[in-house]
Amino acid sequence: MPLKFLLALLHRNAAADLAAFRLTAVRMLVQPAVYLFVFGYVVGGMLPAQSGGYAGIMAPGIVAISVVTGPFVIIGGGVISGYYFRTMEEWLLAPVSLRTVLTAKVLGGTCYGLAGGAVVVVLVWAILGIAPQKIGYMVLTASAGALLFSLFTIVVLLIPETPDKGQEVFSFLMMPMTFFGCTFYSYDMLGAPFNYLALLLPTTYIAEGLRAAYHPDSPHMEAGMVLAGLSLAAAVLIPLADWAFRRRFRDFTW
Amino acid sequence: MSRGKLRSVEVFDVTKTFSNGLEAIGGISLSVGCGEVYGLLGLNGAGKSTVIKMLATLLRPTSGGIRIFGLDTMECCPAEIKRRIGVVPQENNLDTHLDVRQNLAFHCRYAGLAKKDYAPKVEEWLALFGLEGKAAERVMRLSGGTKRKAMLAKAFLTAPELLILDEPSAGLDPGVRALFWDKVEEFRSNGGTVFLSTHYLEEAERLCDRIGILHGGRLVAEGTVNELTRWAGLETAERNGVEAAFRRAVGTCP
Repeated sequence: MPLKFLLALLHRNAAADLAAFRLTAVRMLVQPAVYLFVFGYVVGGMLPAQSGGYAGIMAPGIVAISVVTGPFVIIGGGVISGYYFRTMEEWLLAPVSLRTVLTAKVLGGTCYGLAGGAVVVVLVWAILGIAPQKIGYMVLTASAGALLFSLFTIVVLLIPETPDKGQEVFSFLMMPMTFFGCTFYSYDMLGAPFNYLALLLPTTYIAEGLRAAYHPDSPHMEAGMVLAGLSLAAAVLIPLADWAFRRRFRDFTW
Repeated sequence: MSRGKLRSVEVFDVTKTFSNGLEAIGGISLSVGCGEVYGLLGLNGAGKSTVIKMLATLLRPTSGGIRIFGLDTMECCPAEIKRRIGVVPQENNLDTHLDVRQNLAFHCRYAGLAKKDYAPKVEEWLALFGLEGKAAERVMRLSGGTKRKAMLAKAFLTAPELLILDEPSAGLDPGVRALFWDKVEEFRSNGGTVFLSTHYLEEAERLCDRIGILHGGRLVAEGTVNELTRWAGLETAERNGVEAAFRRAVGTCP
């Protein structure tokens, strides 16, 4: 039964996205393509060539941004419409446990993060001619990143009183994570104290992990450190997401 | 008049106080036998929807206990209870990203039904409620009455043993309301149990074996139509007995 529910909710997410195809296409294709063209192709072409060039440094970061923002679209959309249109009741009334509903939501977000990342990987190859060299490591890092930010989305949306406030908090937190989390530059470019601050952001580990997958011979954060950072984030976010979900939906007063 | 000894619904001295201090239910006890139709009447704000949501496992009682088919809603897995109930909440909870047919189909899939089992039932219930012409329309474009019809069809789809309905016929035209009443009577004759809240006295008198009148979060009167009529000081043969009982209980009409 839980597996059937999980698969049904994943199918539902795809059906809902298909219904809003144009919006989905803009989100998944156009926005990252613009970033890659402007910052990778145009700006990257103007900067002195380093190992891989600036395009090679920022391209994995754009993949990372797609991976970490993808979950918000499907989880956030579901929670917010669930609040205003009471759709959440439909899922809470399904004959499965609350933890199964949470798992389905997180899995859906993870799939969306991975799908968004996959689209950008293709765009990076098409626009900049860069392809990852360690595909397995890329998939592992991207999966961990999408999972973590699915959990992060759950926490941020459900702790405030209403999901609108959660949406504002999410935007407020994503901005520093994106710009200070080594997405547009590599970790080794940072000096003190910014290199220490960057270690506090989960996006740093995701971006550096993807950077290592694209350019294993260029300076990047060690795999052990990437793993440690992602594991610590998981250790915090998994119980927090579980608590936030149960707190909000075990007694559904929305 | 209850049918049989097995109790479908048992409520033991249940209270519900929300986090803002509002005491919505001040201590009610009731039971509904298998194959019985129980109606809950009350003014707006009496607590009917709160009772409905607690039976549907969406809300947890502050104190007291609720058993559905002998299963405690607080102690055992609510999934087992939800497998056996069909719920129509007061507000529509259709998935706004999907069309009508998809809403019904996914409702069945969330419940673990296979396509070969649910697909013909979906078409059957779409036809029964005159929704074939609207089946491919997105929910956002539907009128309130059409959405309500889709909600009613959804409740019957998974062949529940207990229907929990919160003002089910609100917004329905007289023809569809009559059809819904027929379906409830057919459901009862097949051994199903119904717990419904309503503002329509005619609906309560026609459908319900027993009626409870809720006022200020407390059950102030309960009984069959004849019992309530006598309690109101009228002869049992008189019409408007339930209305008279309601007036006596709460001082006005619903």
